[in-house]
Amino acid sequence: MSQRTERRGIHVDQSDLLCKKGCGYYGNAAWQGLCSKCWREEYQRVRQKQIQDDWALAEKLQREEEAAAYASSHSAHSQSTAAQHASVGHFSKFEEKKTNEKTRKVTTVKKFFSPSSRTTSKKEIQEVKAPSPSISRHASFDTDQVSKEFVDFLKNLHKPGRETYKQCRAFLLNMSSKKVCCPPETITVSISYQNKETFLFRQDLGADELSECVQDFYQNLADRLISHFKGSSESVEQVMDQVEKYIMTRLYKSVFCPETTDDEKKDLATQDRIRALHWVTIQMLCVSMEEDIPEVSENVVKAITDIIEMDSKRVPRDKLACITRCSKHIFSAIRITKNEPASADDFLPALIYIVLKANPPRLQSNIQYITRFCNPSRLMTGEDGYYFTNLCCAVAFIEKLNAQSLNLSPEEFERFMSGQTSPQFSSSDSDWPCSESGLGTTVTNPVLVQLNHNLELLTGLCTRQEAVMEAAQSLQADLLTWSDSVQQEVHNILEKYPLEIISKVSAIDANTDNDNLPSPIKPQVFAD
Amino acid sequence: RGLFIIRVFLLFLMGETLPRVPGGVPVRTLRVKMVLLGSSGVGKSSLAVRFSKDQFRDSSPTVGCAYLTRVLYLEDITLRFEIWDTAGQEKYHSVTPLYYRGAHAALVVYDICKKETFVRAQVWLRELEKQYIPGSTVVWLIGNKEDLSQNREVSLQEGQNLAQEKGLSFTETSALSGDRVNELLLAVGKSSSHDAPVQTGRLSDNLSLSNGVPQGSDSGPTFGP
Repeated sequence: MSQRTERRGIHVDQSDLLCKKGCGYYGNAAWQGLCSKCWREEYQRVRQKQIQDDWALAEKLQREEEAAAYASSHSAHSQSTAAQHASVGHFSKFEEKKTNEKTRKVTTVKKFFSPSSRTTSKKEIQEVKAPSPSISRHASFDTDQVSKEFVDFLKNLHKPGRETYKQCRAFLLNMSSKKVCCPPETITVSISYQNKETFLFRQDLGADELSECVQDFYQNLADRLISHFKGSSESVEQVMDQVEKYIMTRLYKSVFCPETTDDEKKDLATQDRIRALHWVTIQMLCVSMEEDIPEVSENVVKAITDIIEMDSKRVPRDKLACITRCSKHIFSAIRITKNEPASADDFLPALIYIVLKANPPRLQSNIQYITRFCNPSRLMTGEDGYYFTNLCCAVAFIEKLNAQSLNLSPEEFERFMSGQTSPQFSSSDSDWPCSESGLGTTVTNPVLVQLNHNLELLTGLCTRQEAVMEAAQSLQADLLTWSDSVQQEVHNILEKYPLEIISKVSAIDANTDNDNLPSPIKPQVFAD
Repeated sequence: RGLFIIRVFLLFLMGETLPRVPGGVPVRTLRVKMVLLGSSGVGKSSLAVRFSKDQFRDSSPTVGCAYLTRVLYLEDITLRFEIWDTAGQEKYHSVTPLYYRGAHAALVVYDICKKETFVRAQVWLRELEKQYIPGSTVVWLIGNKEDLSQNREVSLQEGQNLAQEKGLSFTETSALSGDRVNELLLAVGKSSSHDAPVQTGRLSDNLSLSNGVPQGSDSGPTFGP
């Protein structure tokens, strides 16, 4: 009986509901008849196999590309880049799978594969920092873009360009191969990029050592380039800038704020320090900027934006450019206020003020990173170097800042620091020597000032709009009453003289009678 | 690998035979970093503008005069001066060492009409001495505002004595009239190109200076009456 019902398909046998693996748990059709546990195992196995296939494919492509690169080293350089780009398609697919998997199993030991170092092709590396998929994909796009630009730039240089490219590649490989000498249990950080370069760095290779490696490389390359270009320092600098961009885009993640240093601690300390100094006014620092002038406050806001933006750049020179832009805005602000070019006496206090107001993220890390990995000639000399030095001075000053440097008494300084009082409440009896005007102005963020200013403008516009609306309504009412009054008037007049028309009609009637009226005038001919 | 070495060598040889600039001497560019130190109001900025544009007040619409450049040509060298102005207020004194890292010349400026700026200049000199590496940075003592010599508080002799004692170069200038400013710049350039490690060839003799350049601890030249 039970067998019949089974054939009819209404009832299913108990065994059919169980996991196909026979583990005793119930299975599910969505998991191909397996239970959740067995399904996960099975799925993992299939995934793993697929990944390994992908690795193999990537490796094969890498070998082909390298072979092509060697073959084309005498001919056009573009060939190797073409090969590189041809493989990108496959690779991006692979990257996608990888990130998919990353989201599924979040914190598990993963196999990371480094195709560029053939000696240790497959190795189990414990991943320390797993960047979020979106960030890594975005970064790899940037990196790809940078390397493309780099190749394009070097193409114009022919032979020295090829040499430079080779040396950069060799250097990056060398940096990554440093992991060969480290035992597997050492924690390493791996960074995988879309163009199949995986760089692994020993965490215990100190930041200073890394900096030394990079600086040595710069030095060697610059020396070689100088002999190529026969002392034309401009061309050497151009190439070196591109090299720096190419290399540092790749190394950024592993060498920015490394764990071996106390950069992060310093960042936090500086951040807290700046936060504690939130009450410092523009007058205390003797900054010659009038924030009431709209152009000045606009420049101040731009300067703050630029200094904050510095953290988002990866190449040291781009970071320097942010500092320079920020400085230029400060100069504009001072120039507008004082109506004469700003000198260093005006500039440094203004920069300190901007840093205090902006509280740029990871300020110390950024300064350390620039110092360690920027081309040293850029820091010691040049406009960028000058502004960077000023920023370092500003930070050093903020760290050492005391009551004397703000022309305050130690007691006042302590009160402000502890947050017991803030300057705007005690401003009436204060006697800051530099304050010429606006003693009562409260300490506010320039952005807030801008915001308030805009709000005021909006309120003004609102009231004007209301006035216009009111006037329009009264005009409408006026028009209505006017037409009414006209109508009324017409009506009145019509009522006043209603009989005129009738009398006229009688006159016509009289005309027709034609009795006691003079004869109608007839046309007469006066001339012949 | 062997091929690579040969190629580099060949390139090197080819580089050597590249056509030179007419005159037979390769033109080199030297960056000269010059730091201006001194109290507020001694005329550092005016001096900087004078250095870069040969004007007293900056009439062109530049925004700032904290960082300025000037290019000068000696016979075989292009000198690219970078003039770094520093904040003179006393409270920033502790951070100024950052500025003169890697500087070829440090100019300590005082106002001859204000005694206290001369005293401050000595503090600056003491600070510089701590960082001073002989041969890397040439230190100059500059008495500015010479055009106001009727209100003089610091005599020429005092300045000369201090310079002699410390082994510095010394001159009095006027940023207002431009007296001896260009001479000073040339002298700084000349001494810096002496010290530059990549120096080759002979220095030009067509400098408008008759005085020598400071060497070691001997007293430097003085451009005074």
